[in-house]
Amino acid sequence: MSKAILLALLAVSAAAAAATPREMIDTYAAEAVRQSPGFQPSARRGAEFYAKRFAVSDKMPACAACHTDSPAQPGRHAVTGKAIKPLAPRAEAARFTDPAKTEKWFRRNCTEVLGRECSAAEKADFIQFLAEGR
Amino acid sequence: MKKILVWDLPVRLGHWLMVGGFILAWATGDSEKWRLVHVFAGSTVMAVAAYRLLWGIVGSRYARFAEFVRGPRQAVAYLKSLLQARPPHYAGHNPAAGWAIVMLLGLALASGASGWLAYQEMGGEWLEELHEFLTGLMLAVVGVHLLGVLVGSLAHRENLVWAMVTGRKQGRPEEAIAGQRFVAALMLLAWSAIGAWWLAR
Repeated sequence: MSKAILLALLAVSAAAAAATPREMIDTYAAEAVRQSPGFQPSARRGAEFYAKRFAVSDKMPACAACHTDSPAQPGRHAVTGKAIKPLAPRAEAARFTDPAKTEKWFRRNCTEVLGRECSAAEKADFIQFLAEGR
Repeated sequence: MKKILVWDLPVRLGHWLMVGGFILAWATGDSEKWRLVHVFAGSTVMAVAAYRLLWGIVGSRYARFAEFVRGPRQAVAYLKSLLQARPPHYAGHNPAAGWAIVMLLGLALASGASGWLAYQEMGGEWLEELHEFLTGLMLAVVGVHLLGVLVGSLAHRENLVWAMVTGRKQGRPEEAIAGQRFVAALMLLAWSAIGAWWLAR
């Protein structure tokens, strides 16, 4: 009996930490709607964002600098040369399933590549593009 | 009381290498562009800390753990004497400083090891979280250490930062150490350079 309760608790806590890319898109989209009513996540805008050359950082001018032109392909760190697993959840199932990790890397990479933090709308579009591809 | 040599060259050089490495590693921690610099800086801190462990056994008098690692009761007694503005003067480290040194060395090694393992992708995301936690803890101890240096400097009217540059503090002539230990300092430089290079590969 107590074992069953423990298992149930574990399942609940695991569910609280984990998420699906869909849920994360919804969360960011809900935040974006508050800033601009009528916002809908767009894979097309996400793709444009992914392909854009921000040219803020010489080593990392765009997402593709590390993640290649196709986010379903394995990437390569532009500075260390280390392999990076594909960014797209359709190629790498663990992507965008941990909200805290996703937030951390948005903060780091946006600050470095764009020179500013990304908006909720940009994040929603970005994951939408990575989840469904184009 | 006159100025006598208490900190040998490996102690001072190691101290400032760790300071530089820690600042550089902290400043570059969140950046991918500076990732190699971060790893090299952190590796330097780790290599110096490892050398310091050995130097704490075979080094000159005030570098040895046996000389300055004291129980918590003595550390508390020293802190109380500071509050009463009557702290006893130590030629080497006071008992509270001894604790700061042990904690900083331990955290430097633990933080470095967790960061290195994360960089080598030998664990999951939790290693990065652990690395960030340990580094934050180390920064907190650095803060306490700096406060201690300030209070100690004022209490004893002695510039302890400058003492870590020149190696000289107030003391009786017979308490002085014999020499700078130049060879061991060169070995520290070589060890740190090779160690940091090897770790950061």
